[in-house]
Amino acid sequence: MKNPISRKVEYYKTLDAKDRRSFWIDGLLNNAIYIILVIFLIYTATRNSRLLSWAALVNLITLVAANLPMALGIGGCIILTGTDLSAGRVVGLSAALSAALLQGASTVNKYFEGLGEPGLGMVFLVLLIAMVIGGIVGLANGFFVARFQLHPFIVTLATQLIVYGGCLIFYNSNGNNGQPISGLSQVFRTFVTGSILPPIFGQTIPNYVLYAIIVFILMWFIWNKTTFGKNMFAVGSNPEAANVSGVNVFLTTTLVHTLAGITYGYTGFIDAARIMSNTASTGQNYESDAIAACVIGGVSFVGGTGTVGGVLLGVVLLRVIYVCLNYLSVDPNLQYIVKGAIILLACSIDMRKYLARK
Amino acid sequence: MKIKKILALLLACVMVFALAACSSGTDATEAPTTAATEAAGGEETAGAEETEATTPTAGTARVGVFYYAFSDAFIASVRDALDTALTGAGIDYQNFDANNSQATQNESITTALTDGYNILLVNLVDTASTDAASQIIEQAAAAGAQVVFFNRAVEGTDNEGVVLNAYDTVAFVGTDAPEAGHLQGQMIGNYLVENFDTVDLNGDGQISYAMFMGQVGNVEALYRTQYSVEDALVVLEENGYGSADEPALVYFDPNNTESYQADPNGAWSAGAATEYMQTNLSQYNEANGNMIELIICNNDNMAEGAIAALQAAGYNNGEGSTTIPVFGVDATESAKALIAAGTMTGTVEQSATGMADALLGMVQNIASGSTMDDAVTAVAASNADLYSVSEAVPNKLYVAYSAYTG
Amino acid sequence: MKQDVLLQMTDICKSFPGVKALDHVSLTLRPGTVHALMGENGAGKSTLMKCLFGIYRKDEGTILLEGKEVNFKNSKEAMENGVSMVHQELNQALKRNVMDNLWLGRYPKTAGIVINERKMYEDTMKLFKELEINVDPREIMGNLPVSKRQMVEIAKAVSYNSKVIVFDEPTSSLTEEEVDHLFRIINMLRDRGCGIIYISHKMAEILRISDDVTVMRDGKWIATRPASELDTATIIKLMVGRELSQQFPPKTNHPGEVSLEVEHLTAQYSALKDVSFTARKGEILGIAGLDGSGRTELLENIFGTATRHDGTIKLGGQVVPNKNARQSIKSGFALLTEERRATGIFGIRNIRDNTVISSLGKHLHAHLWLNEKSMEKDTDWAIASMQIKTPSQDTKIRSLSGGNQQKVILGRWLLTDPKVLLLDEPTRGIDVGAKYEIYQLIIDLANKGATILMVSSEMPELLGICDRILVMSGGRLAGEVDARTATQEEIMTLAAKYV
Repeated sequence: MKNPISRKVEYYKTLDAKDRRSFWIDGLLNNAIYIILVIFLIYTATRNSRLLSWAALVNLITLVAANLPMALGIGGCIILTGTDLSAGRVVGLSAALSAALLQGASTVNKYFEGLGEPGLGMVFLVLLIAMVIGGIVGLANGFFVARFQLHPFIVTLATQLIVYGGCLIFYNSNGNNGQPISGLSQVFRTFVTGSILPPIFGQTIPNYVLYAIIVFILMWFIWNKTTFGKNMFAVGSNPEAANVSGVNVFLTTTLVHTLAGITYGYTGFIDAARIMSNTASTGQNYESDAIAACVIGGVSFVGGTGTVGGVLLGVVLLRVIYVCLNYLSVDPNLQYIVKGAIILLACSIDMRKYLARK
Repeated sequence: MKIKKILALLLACVMVFALAACSSGTDATEAPTTAATEAAGGEETAGAEETEATTPTAGTARVGVFYYAFSDAFIASVRDALDTALTGAGIDYQNFDANNSQATQNESITTALTDGYNILLVNLVDTASTDAASQIIEQAAAAGAQVVFFNRAVEGTDNEGVVLNAYDTVAFVGTDAPEAGHLQGQMIGNYLVENFDTVDLNGDGQISYAMFMGQVGNVEALYRTQYSVEDALVVLEENGYGSADEPALVYFDPNNTESYQADPNGAWSAGAATEYMQTNLSQYNEANGNMIELIICNNDNMAEGAIAALQAAGYNNGEGSTTIPVFGVDATESAKALIAAGTMTGTVEQSATGMADALLGMVQNIASGSTMDDAVTAVAASNADLYSVSEAVPNKLYVAYSAYTG
Repeated sequence: MKQDVLLQMTDICKSFPGVKALDHVSLTLRPGTVHALMGENGAGKSTLMKCLFGIYRKDEGTILLEGKEVNFKNSKEAMENGVSMVHQELNQALKRNVMDNLWLGRYPKTAGIVINERKMYEDTMKLFKELEINVDPREIMGNLPVSKRQMVEIAKAVSYNSKVIVFDEPTSSLTEEEVDHLFRIINMLRDRGCGIIYISHKMAEILRISDDVTVMRDGKWIATRPASELDTATIIKLMVGRELSQQFPPKTNHPGEVSLEVEHLTAQYSALKDVSFTARKGEILGIAGLDGSGRTELLENIFGTATRHDGTIKLGGQVVPNKNARQSIKSGFALLTEERRATGIFGIRNIRDNTVISSLGKHLHAHLWLNEKSMEKDTDWAIASMQIKTPSQDTKIRSLSGGNQQKVILGRWLLTDPKVLLLDEPTRGIDVGAKYEIYQLIIDLANKGATILMVSSEMPELLGICDRILVMSGGRLAGEVDARTATQEEIMTLAAKYV
């Protein structure tokens, strides 16, 4: 056995001039996302050297950690050639619930008057509740998609509205008058944004980074090591063939959406404490970044393909763009254009792999 | 089979939950019917107390209230106060949510007009141009209805009166849009004059500030962004801090010519402020000697988001930690709580009940046949401390802002 | 009868990678005649027509239309030059109305922009009257029965003033009466001097309507004769006259006791009706029949991927539910589908994923995680025993050849230890060498005691490796023959029984 690089070199030697050219072009295009990422970072670093500090790195990591779990959830839906527009609103609902249940005892405008100062057990319980609520919405999404063969676009568009309505009602109930829910208890905030790790290079790493790592590993395991994961890719790749092969397409579809819902519930729980002020617009449009991250990371709408590593890469790329544009002090109007252009470019390059060659 | 049953059961649970949620939430929408039946008996007691105006004939008024977004915290408190006021006065009304879309609002208005609503209280979505407002007024006039805009400005200060002076079926109840910015600026100026050395962490004689804008293109956001800094600078200069060439207040990022960071979704959201602030702190901090020393936000929600990022970085955690002054607008309950705890410095209060009472007064006066200008004058007279009439535009009623620092 | 030539196709050749689809085929069409084109599935009839219409580019040969050489780039160009085709599968915009379909792409216009609905309606009515077609031009296409839709397609061909009209299996879904109407129209067109090319399997029809008959086999021209000189037996002999060569491995399997019993199987949504048969352990049972005779539906109903209306399935004397693929797999069935791409492979996934998908339960540890090592081992086994040619397990399956893809799917099923293997066209689109290997695999499986049901359109294949052959016709079981003694003619006759 030779190592892959020397094999590549030998293969390259066998090519003629024309093939060599397309070898390089293909190589460049297939790795374009990495190349964009590196170019972006290098350019920004030359303009603003503070990008090369530990603080900048930790900032990037925490931003990624906040956005990753949800992208991983939505990734499953995209693998099934679907999508999920309800994600942001589910985050909003679960953030509202989490915040309301975990306000400090001395908070002035308390949502649930009767609740005392929550303990750590309560924090875990609320995390569970948040994930269950998200899971239920996901289950409903999955059920309608699988049972009635509706396109996820329309199903999640509908549930998104329903969840938002529920969220508005929640904010206006219990004498809250639509006020932001904040005044979170210290134990909740410490649980999410505190740090059990010693500072690294003078930078504290919030706990939710650790949680995101756990979610990432769990998702990696589910996607790669479980029957459910294999079935998910099979259904996404060819539902007819999956059915003939004995895969329960209905159950798989439902579970993928449920799992996605759970990640939104989790994200809502974390964001409640990360942002600290929760209103009915919390979570709005979160799904657009998450979907973009997935597609940039190679989770293709073609279906049946994608990796958790790819999703991570997509999230990192989007956050790098965000951080770099801010470090470069780019005009906010231009930021939209740059972000849009990069998403379009990345997705075109991704699709290029699946275009039929004639 | 088993799985199907479980699924069906779970779905049923979701439905039940949804229905339960609906029934608890229908209070507001059911209100009109109950209010209408109570109207005959209730109006003399509740209604008459509110204003000393002529006997209200609220029974003939059908009021449509068109909110720009239910999700907005301040709007939600106005809605709550107005629901109470209108129900108490026995007036038949109905609420509509535009969900931040002018198109949705126009559709609701068109529908409501065909349904016989004759007084429209409109919380305009699109404040960037006067066209939306004019269109609504003309449409309403054609259907014999009158329009009271509230909260969100229909015209800027530079074109004051173009809409409101052009029609006699319209009035405005709101705040003087720039006033919030002015008040915020004065509050910041005064605070800095008193605490300059504490705030100036690196002692360079300049306060480096961050500015979070709620929505690009929104008139109120623009005024707040502009005047909060301008007025603060005036106060500072008057007290000997800085000069026109060397201002005592500078935006933290010299390369950002706009001197603000705006919510990319235009949602005035805490999340946008948190992520901006966190990213800013990764390069502007005490270790680099360029820490952001002051944070100005267009609303309290963004202020709270910025505080979340500060707290994560070890600031504004009460005793024993450095507090970066953060200023907002709205005086939401949670912001007041933060100010009381010392983690936030100030906000500008806009009275939701004051707004609601003014609107109720307008409705009652209009229903009893007074002209718009008279209605405005009557309401202004009812509480001279809180209300004032614009000097240039007689049908424009201002509800005063007040600085809130705890 | 005129003697001049309308369409002359000479020495047409067309190759696909690994296959010579057309080998110097010639066809001469005289005006005012109906020319039948016959041959087994895959004989090259459709390919020849696709070369005429420019859907495929021919490698060699010339096409002369009224003495002038033509090379159409697409069917629209062909139509505009008077050559049109009534397809077997109608390509129509079902949501649009009849006249929209008829004048699609050449709507009559007023002032160059506005579509003149009135003229369109009148033209349509005139045309339909001429052809005795009773269809409302404003009817939505999808609401019409297939026969009427076909009439619209014919009207479309006529409206282009076509000189040459090709009918591809036009009667496959028509009733007796509708066939009579179709033939009246065809006769009318013939009397006008049109040349008709008529592709069909149905002997009686061919003999009734056509003037000349051309028979093709294996991409080659076999014979062209006047219909008056032919009878059914002669045509069948011409069609299947191929020698059975040594393309099959020796048959070493020996059927044992009865294992599979199918009783009165009737489908809910297809024509499959009251099919009963038994199959033995170690037996290879062939299923023959024309396209649409219900062969695929039979397998799908046994496997539960199509909805059963009635009937029972027993395996080893026990009734098995087989309501869906999962139940069927559990009770020991496996189905290799006909459309490999559509319902067989997971194109974007690698060979390992494609191989283990139906047997994941075997690799599960603690009901939780999948053992990568054992999945790799099983995949290695499949690659070795099926002789799959692939660079590695991680190769995407779609980059393999058809034969190797088929072997992967076969391997997938063998890993479920099936007692009954249902194979639907297992060698379709596979080159000769790979076919031999697949035959060998099938025989080996039978040797190990599996019961094998094999649907195929290639009769030599069925005769070559099966023990018995069931013949389907019109959704019913038309008969059963012994593969050792039966002839292709016998099977063909049975296959035409209920057509």
